[in-house]
Amino acid sequence: MLEVEDLAVSYGGTTALAGVAISVKEREAVCVVGPNGAGKSTLLAAIAGGVPPKRGRIRFDGKDLVGMRAENIARLGISLVPEGRHVFGTLTVEENLFIGTYAMSDQRHAQRDAEQLLGYFPRLKERWRQPAGRLSGGEQQMLVIARALMTRPRLVMVDEPSLGLAPKIVDTVYSTLLALRAERGLTLLVNEQSSDRMLKFSERIYVLRNGRILLHGNTADLQDGEAITRAYFGFDEHHTPATSEAAA
Amino acid sequence: MINFAQTFIDALSLGSLYALAALGIGLLFGILRLINFAYGDLITLGAYALIIPSTEAVATLFIGGWPWFMVIIAVAVIVVAAALLSDLLVFRHIRRADPATLMIASFAVSFVIQNVILMFYGSRPKSVDLWSNLNYQIAVSGLRIPLLQIVTILATLVLMGGLTLLLKRTALGIQMRAAAEDFRMARYLGVRGNLVIGLAFAISGVLAAVASLLLLSQTGTLSQTMGVPLMLFAFIATVVGGMGSLIGAATGGFAVAFASVFLQAYLPDDLRPFRDSFVFGIVILMLLFRPAGLVPTKALVERV
Amino acid sequence: MTDTAQRRFLRAALPVLALLLGVTAITALVALLGNDEMALTVTEALVRLIVVVGLSVFIGNSGVVSFGHIGFMCIAAYAAAWATCNPMWKQLMLTGLPVFLQQAQYPFWVAVAGGAVLAAAVALVFGAVILRLSGIAASIATFAFLAIVNNVYSNWDSVTAGVSSIIGIPTVVGPWTGLAFALGAIVLAFWFKGSRFGLMLRATRDDPVAARASGVSIVRVRLAAFVLSAFIVGIGGALFVQFLGVATVDMFYLQLTFITLAMLIIGGMGSVTGAIVGVFAVTVFVEFFRFLESGVAVGESVLALPEGSQEIALGIGMALILIFRPKGLTGSRELRLPGLGSSRRAMAPPLTTTEATARS
Repeated sequence: MLEVEDLAVSYGGTTALAGVAISVKEREAVCVVGPNGAGKSTLLAAIAGGVPPKRGRIRFDGKDLVGMRAENIARLGISLVPEGRHVFGTLTVEENLFIGTYAMSDQRHAQRDAEQLLGYFPRLKERWRQPAGRLSGGEQQMLVIARALMTRPRLVMVDEPSLGLAPKIVDTVYSTLLALRAERGLTLLVNEQSSDRMLKFSERIYVLRNGRILLHGNTADLQDGEAITRAYFGFDEHHTPATSEAAA
Repeated sequence: MINFAQTFIDALSLGSLYALAALGIGLLFGILRLINFAYGDLITLGAYALIIPSTEAVATLFIGGWPWFMVIIAVAVIVVAAALLSDLLVFRHIRRADPATLMIASFAVSFVIQNVILMFYGSRPKSVDLWSNLNYQIAVSGLRIPLLQIVTILATLVLMGGLTLLLKRTALGIQMRAAAEDFRMARYLGVRGNLVIGLAFAISGVLAAVASLLLLSQTGTLSQTMGVPLMLFAFIATVVGGMGSLIGAATGGFAVAFASVFLQAYLPDDLRPFRDSFVFGIVILMLLFRPAGLVPTKALVERV
Repeated sequence: MTDTAQRRFLRAALPVLALLLGVTAITALVALLGNDEMALTVTEALVRLIVVVGLSVFIGNSGVVSFGHIGFMCIAAYAAAWATCNPMWKQLMLTGLPVFLQQAQYPFWVAVAGGAVLAAAVALVFGAVILRLSGIAASIATFAFLAIVNNVYSNWDSVTAGVSSIIGIPTVVGPWTGLAFALGAIVLAFWFKGSRFGLMLRATRDDPVAARASGVSIVRVRLAAFVLSAFIVGIGGALFVQFLGVATVDMFYLQLTFITLAMLIIGGMGSVTGAIVGVFAVTVFVEFFRFLESGVAVGESVLALPEGSQEIALGIGMALILIFRPKGLTGSRELRLPGLGSSRRAMAPPLTTTEATARS
């Protein structure tokens, strides 16, 4: 469904991504882990059209996304939940939720979808007419996930959903993502700094460090965590990226 | 007491004019980070559109002679077209530039518009009689209020009301508010950047058109730089009110007007000519001690 | 001096020398071969060169765009006018001037030094207040400063003659005086750029967080550049009135701010070479359009562009540069001479924070 090849991005003089390749299949849950500053956010932003790549290809259902505007990429069915939540603080919860459907002038399912999503996030219903800026961090994270789903995307990319949230709330976020995925047949691409939770949540893992993919494999083959730790801390830095056979 | 009330009404009407212009500037800054210096020249352009282009010293009314609602519509169309054109030709191509570069680009646009006006209308100021019956004064319990002041205040109320409705109640308006707060996030959700920006330019054009008609009926004189002082005060109004916040822009407009009208009325005689310096000094103090403005929005504290 | 140190010095000094020679050659060519009108044009261009180089000392090193420097030019210009203007006229018109200015007429160099020092002193006070502001906020504050200067000088009638002109200033500045000061300004700008302060300032621009972490006081290094640039711009202002013979407040407002910024941007904001190239390019461009406005004989008819064409062309040219070459004609790099070793670190090494702090 999503194919990224040889992707390079730089900001000014600094290289953020250098020759990154990942692929995501329909209905998969794939995770990118890596330390702070590895380029994870840049990768998702580049796919969503937020930063222009210097080189490389990004294909979604065979269509090349490079050079497309962010708003048109969203229309193809890719939704990004960026790091740091980014609710529209002065807009109400309701307005936040409906932005995407307003923008795409697609109100057919909006009411029903909103009802359904509020079933997962009942807190949002209680705050319906309040400015989103007044929600707690956990509530804001729920709001941005719900907001991303309102336009019925097929691929949802979530950038570090656990950042700055209490572990209990993170659990809720992930269980909700899994439930929504089962119900709607979503494809998920999630960034995290830590791989612990990802070993349960995702089917495949990429380890990204210094703008390069250092390890890629099926979660099932990486359960002991040893290979991930090695790649994560850069012990394999000068070798070619390790690839577990099963993933190939 | 009568003196105070008279001053108050003066400030209210001047504040309305500033608030109108400040809204136009604040709207663009919120969405684009653009401090549009050319805004003053859009105001000038709107006023010049009323007469027949010629370098003669005597102005001949063109659009200005039409019925008042036609005048408003025609001037609005012309100014909106110019605003959209400035985006299409210049600003659209430097969306990623930093605010200072955008401001310099708007300087260039301003310079071009001023000199296009010079080319078609000549450099001499011209007097124009637009709606002079609005200068008729109404006497209310000892106060003498020019009709124009009332019209200015009413026009501002109507436009601000309309703008509020548009931004709060329409799908497009809600998208605009989202884009003003976090442009990139809005686009990730499918909001069309150029549509929202185009609409912002159009709305700022309508506000500039109305401001230019009010300004001209007040001064009765056309000159190539007539819009610049209004732009400057509106610009500092957005800084005082809180850059990027629309309520802030309107509040700032009234605050700046009240400050200058009351300084004018109550400063000692020898300091009175330096009134504008005090007003600009307030701007520097605001930047230093309350950078988010009178009406801070959370989103902007980190941006400015 | 060791051999490598000598080479490094040459590598740094030769491009500067080349620029000085270039400016001198153009001035000499026009002043010796051209008519009177061309000599006036080149003098005005040299004065503007001083102002734009002064601007670039602050903007180029700090990355903060200032809209206020023409205010410093105004301050220095009026100081020079007070010093040199005919005492009879001063006693008649500028009744508020202090006696030492009102009664006497000072020589040229006192006027220049006095004007520049006054501008620098005002910059020191104003800069200390506003330079802790970041980015656009600092730019807005400099703009407010320009407006304040304009308002004060337009209305302080007893000292500035209000919006009317101060006249009777001896016109002693010609191409050669202009050239001497322009060369001095260029050397000063290069010296500052290579100095410890210049390096630290560019470090704060490129990476404010790291620079602050390494103990560089952003406000202090910015202030140094601000004061020096106001001083140079002030020299430009003091020369300008002694070139024109009159001083009017409105000469020093939005129009000149726009033109000098346009020159800097068209040449390239980040380099002294850019400032020089910008002044040259804009002057040639404007003169060319002025020539077209005055009319060109084509066959039997005379074709003339309408009034305002040169300004419109300048505005369009500037917009085009901002869109297609945001770093200006020079790409904001300094001049490099071929054949001075393969090192790419010619004039302005792309510096890192560690480098800058290591030198401090």
